[in-house]
Amino acid sequence: MSAPAASARETITYSAEETTAFGRTLTDLLAPPKLVLLRGDLGAGKTTLIKGIAAGFQAASEEDVTSPTFTLVHEYRGPRATLYHIDLYRVDTPRELETLGLDDLFAENSILLIEWGEKFARFVRDRDVEITLERVGENDRKIQVTSR
Amino acid sequence: MADTFILGIESSCDETGAAVVRSGEQILSNVVFSQIATHMPYGGVVPELASREHLRAIVPVVRKAMADAGQTYQSVDALAVTQGPGLAGALLVGLSYAKALAFALDKPLIAVNHLEGHIHAVLLEERQKGNHEVNFPVLALVVSGGHTHLYLAEQKGKSWSYGNIGHTRDDAAGEAFDKVAKLLGLGYPGGPIIDRLSSHGDAKAVKFATSQIKHPDRKNRGKSDNLIARTDFSYSGIKTAVLRYVETHGMAAAIARRRNTLAGIEKPNLEDYLALCDMETLNLVASFQRAMVEDLVAKTLTAAEACEAATLFVTGGVAANQELRQRFESESAQQGLPVFFPSRPLSTDNAAMIAAAAYPKWLARDFAPMDFSAEASLPLQRIQV
Repeated sequence: MSAPAASARETITYSAEETTAFGRTLTDLLAPPKLVLLRGDLGAGKTTLIKGIAAGFQAASEEDVTSPTFTLVHEYRGPRATLYHIDLYRVDTPRELETLGLDDLFAENSILLIEWGEKFARFVRDRDVEITLERVGENDRKIQVTSR
Repeated sequence: MADTFILGIESSCDETGAAVVRSGEQILSNVVFSQIATHMPYGGVVPELASREHLRAIVPVVRKAMADAGQTYQSVDALAVTQGPGLAGALLVGLSYAKALAFALDKPLIAVNHLEGHIHAVLLEERQKGNHEVNFPVLALVVSGGHTHLYLAEQKGKSWSYGNIGHTRDDAAGEAFDKVAKLLGLGYPGGPIIDRLSSHGDAKAVKFATSQIKHPDRKNRGKSDNLIARTDFSYSGIKTAVLRYVETHGMAAAIARRRNTLAGIEKPNLEDYLALCDMETLNLVASFQRAMVEDLVAKTLTAAEACEAATLFVTGGVAANQELRQRFESESAQQGLPVFFPSRPLSTDNAAMIAAAAYPKWLARDFAPMDFSAEASLPLQRIQV
């Protein structure tokens, strides 16, 4: 992929609805193909943000985007992008990761949105966009988007 | 009508299962090869391990199911297999095996939705007990680690129809149980131990509120959807609330100690867990479970009333939770609504439920073509003939 200048955005949202709404604004930045890491503790709002991203790409309605912790990979198909929502919460070793076959998901119109991907150096190295969510109040979240 | 013997095969997630069921009403065998022991060191189901274990287990599991049932490959009438939803690689093991066997034996193959299986598990056991008087429509709560779904099921002639009237917006109920257990250092899978510890704590000690869902985004859907109010669930918030409680009450050191000590005990029993849990932890566990149970019961009963359900089924792994069963029993009775649960072996994933769900399809001659494939996110269709 070409290497445009690095950019960063930062915002604070004050409710889950605002976090989702912010996700909707990221469609230009996340135009496929992209490998996106989502970082944040349990309950930081990673899935909530992905609800907005999926809705923004018309790939899924917000209420149909749910946690893939057990199912590991959820696929949402939109008119201009296929989103793969991936949760590596329970995947710990590179050998286990290997067998998930994530490499097969990379394509021109793919966006891989990976939760807990920072466990693996290759994702930290190869990511196009990194989104960090931090809880700064009961419902307040600081969201940083770094793109390269 | 002549008896029909169906061999069911299930491999959608943790368990490799095979079972023979007669005419959707009698279990002749039900073999489950649990992979939980394999998964424990990793704190969850790992897909590659899952597929590899399924590959290793499937042949002996099917053979044992046939032997236990006193059946031969020639004497079964059809094969049934889980098509989805589940882990793609795991599903593929059962599906490929069932296809090959059906092809070799020249027997029909029936594709079953895993969620439909959970619903039929309840019906199978009721019929086995001689209860053929289940009134429709049935509202089914399918509640497990991967699912929290409400289906309104109707039987019209030979075919069944299912309407999804609600599901979780974020985490499944069983996922919340497992994540809370893990963050409290109680290991995996967390549901059963939380259930057993809960009766030792004060469920009123910590106030947890589960999220109440507004449904403005549900408007403008299909016409039939508008007839029935949606009932969705949300369990991400309560998981975060438990995490916050742990952080603000200085429990981290005790949790780390508990995690390490339990890791050193081969098969910890209830006394081991109790010895490692102080009163604050037990109260937290009991309060968490109480909030989960109250939310599941209240929302399901409200939905049952709204859609005029005649019968309630509660099924899936979390349906084995004792407090959940007790609350559903007492509160459904007040509402005059008969409620049925599967026994513990049929609550969790098993193949008898797949063979049972296949029976109406057998009657309808609804056979799968040989080129059908596994579908990781297979929805339970509005109308399944």
